[in-house]
Amino acid sequence: MASIGVGLLSLAQLGCQPISANKGRITVASAGKISSLDPAQASTVNTIQLLSALGDPLYSLDQRGELIPKLAAAPPIVSPDGLTVTIPLRRDVLFHDGTRFDAEAMAFSLRRFLEIGTLSYVVGGRISSVDVAAVDRLVLRLSRPSTSLEGLLTSVNLTPVSPTAYSQYRDGFLHNSFVGTGPYQLSDFNEHQQRLEPFEGYWGEPPANKGLDLITLSNSTALYGALRSGEVDVLLSPSIDEDQRHALHEKAQQGQLREAIGPATEIGYITLLSNVAPLNDARLRQALALSLNRQEISERVSYGLRRPLRSLVPPSLPGTHGSSWPAHDPKSARALLNDAGFCAGEPLRIPLTFRSNVPADKLLALTWQAQVKRDLKSCLVLELDGVESTTIYRQLGEGSFKAVMLDWRGSYPDPEAYLTPLLSCSSSRGDVCLEGEAAISGSFWTTKGLQKTLTRSDLLQGPERHRELQRLEEMTAAGAAYIPVWLEAPRAWSQPSLERPRFDGSGHLILSQLRTLP
Amino acid sequence: MERAGSLLRYCTTRLGLAPVMLWLIATLVFLLLRVAPGDPVDAVLGSRAPAAAKAAMRARLGLDQSLLDQYLDYLRGLVQGDLGQGLINQEPVNSIISRTLPASLELSIVALIVAAVVGLSIGFSGIARPEGKLDLAGRLYGLGTYALPPFWVAMLVQLLFAVSLGWLPVGGRFPPSLMPPQGSGFYLFDSLVALDWTSLRGTIRHLVLPAGTLAILLSGTFTTALRLNLRRTLRGDYVEAARSRGLSETQVVLRHGLPNALLPVLTIAGITVASLIGGALLIEVTFSWPGIALRLQEAINQRDYPVVQGIVVVIAALVVLVSVAVDLLAAALDPRIRY
Repeated sequence: MASIGVGLLSLAQLGCQPISANKGRITVASAGKISSLDPAQASTVNTIQLLSALGDPLYSLDQRGELIPKLAAAPPIVSPDGLTVTIPLRRDVLFHDGTRFDAEAMAFSLRRFLEIGTLSYVVGGRISSVDVAAVDRLVLRLSRPSTSLEGLLTSVNLTPVSPTAYSQYRDGFLHNSFVGTGPYQLSDFNEHQQRLEPFEGYWGEPPANKGLDLITLSNSTALYGALRSGEVDVLLSPSIDEDQRHALHEKAQQGQLREAIGPATEIGYITLLSNVAPLNDARLRQALALSLNRQEISERVSYGLRRPLRSLVPPSLPGTHGSSWPAHDPKSARALLNDAGFCAGEPLRIPLTFRSNVPADKLLALTWQAQVKRDLKSCLVLELDGVESTTIYRQLGEGSFKAVMLDWRGSYPDPEAYLTPLLSCSSSRGDVCLEGEAAISGSFWTTKGLQKTLTRSDLLQGPERHRELQRLEEMTAAGAAYIPVWLEAPRAWSQPSLERPRFDGSGHLILSQLRTLP
Repeated sequence: MERAGSLLRYCTTRLGLAPVMLWLIATLVFLLLRVAPGDPVDAVLGSRAPAAAKAAMRARLGLDQSLLDQYLDYLRGLVQGDLGQGLINQEPVNSIISRTLPASLELSIVALIVAAVVGLSIGFSGIARPEGKLDLAGRLYGLGTYALPPFWVAMLVQLLFAVSLGWLPVGGRFPPSLMPPQGSGFYLFDSLVALDWTSLRGTIRHLVLPAGTLAILLSGTFTTALRLNLRRTLRGDYVEAARSRGLSETQVVLRHGLPNALLPVLTIAGITVASLIGGALLIEVTFSWPGIALRLQEAINQRDYPVVQGIVVVIAALVVLVSVAVDLLAAALDPRIRY
């Protein structure tokens, strides 16, 4: 006992003398390692967040969703036929390696992305060429007019990189380094930790802190504990378990922490396999959509922090109405199932796959299963099946899952970034999509006129476009191959010794504005 | 002379079998990864990448070759010590291993030393009065720590000492605000060599919880092993003979009992350290310890074939080497062992 006591005392002694951090530096924690810093390959929330501090896009969105020129000097000028977009560029911008940013550098980065970008579907074949009109003037020639192009130009994936630093990586990825124009430059990088120093040659407002240490911890409890114990200054919400997210929210309400909430841009939804029995029967898909009590799920699973969602596009984006899918209606669901012959004898059995490594998915699946058992006993049975997310993503396009829970965050804030990846279809037979995003997404669903409406919606502007988008959502809701469930907003929590963190309109935490209170 | 000759033969046989075991393991890993669901090209480019880009990458990675050709390439590289490059970020696998293996070794060695000291002390303390209170406590400790779920203990320790009391860091290997010491990758050693006390303190603070947790979980094995072996040894004829020669009980235990009882413990220690290198995953995950087991888990999730293959082969090589070394050491120390 004595030795245990001595050990604990020594522990306390060791711990009571924390390692002094460099004053003014801020430690930001999140989950998930960063494998590659190349904007042409970046797809994870963590990587995008980091790149948003190391680089600048052409435009960004402010908190009201307004387009703000960053490396561009003014809004894009679109030709009357909509096929040429001219972007005036700033002339006072330097890359971290000291070279100058100009139209050639921007063209180099865009061409590189078009050549090797793993997210090239983001561009979707819209940009047919990138030309340099002058040192400060970039011209994009489009294959078709595109209303969503403005949103696309805010994408972090199109952040320019220094042609000098990337001369050896014109057609290959540079994973462990990044040379851009952002307020910070990278001084040290490994998968689990990155050190960022303010860039002295930055053209804009200099960072409000003396540097950042970004760390990744491998589980939610460690992240939660690190913030609660004061070990980290700021915590980002992805991968925080619902209970801990709620606890942090409560602490923020009590003034023990500061909480920032970004624009809700991540949707949680269920994909139904529509090209084989039994869910090739639209009545059954509609019955499943009607059986879901989103409000109850939101409260039970996320303490109301995830908002119920009845559209595929986040309601905060322009042109969306937010309630195309039917509300919870077990009576109608029963009628549809009865009509399909499932309530009298054997109930309809649907295997519901959830990502076993995402705690919220499991809770959602359990709650929905209980709702169905309560409301539609003898008509419908959900059989739960947890599968690790990597396996799900790999097998989605093979039609392996009858019903599977997923989430999606558009690469840029425009309805098209949500609809195209789920609905676009290049080859179809009847209501079955044979090739295209709808097949890759695992629903294999399309319907007559859907693809045309989708393409047309990107050609139109203003109220006309809004009407077309609304039509798209209504067609998709009627097809019920996707069931939107909830909407999630990014959150960040900081110690009370810091100013409240802020998100930009694209949902990135503005790291350069993190500041310790005097 | 005859004993030395037999020992040499034994060594040669054991060492000669090691490459065969490694080849079997390497082949098994190669085949298992190929039948596992998931496409590594999708992992790199994403499932929405254009088919042409996927085909080009498949060709560049050699995944368009026949399974046999891929296997032969893999074996050729293995023989030359080239474990290939990670698919996700093209980092050489050798470099990944040289970065993560020292972290796991440092954790395992410290945990093993603490576990041995604590476990053996508790196991030894009850020997004066068999079935007495101390002996019973030792037995309970041995069983209890052996039965505790590692993940649960790790979480509990983390919540108590890091979150509630705030004495120690929640996770990681080094304070984020400092630059880690350069050198061998063993931060304790590197800090000492550089006489960098701040780094040393930072390293120790981060090491205490994961190594301590692992040590608690392992120490029960040592307690139980020593307790049982010591009791069996102390009932031996030669111990009775020593007692009859008038030696004190302390002398009997220290001179005759303990050395003989420790031989099986040596084997246990060897096997434990070897299995810990890849087996401390739950501890590495809980404490975000950037070791080889955590990296292996990440590589499996990403279907990063070369990284998984490289790490598994290296871990297997270490396990084989350590168990051969322990066998040889035990054979050299204990004349009763026949080979």
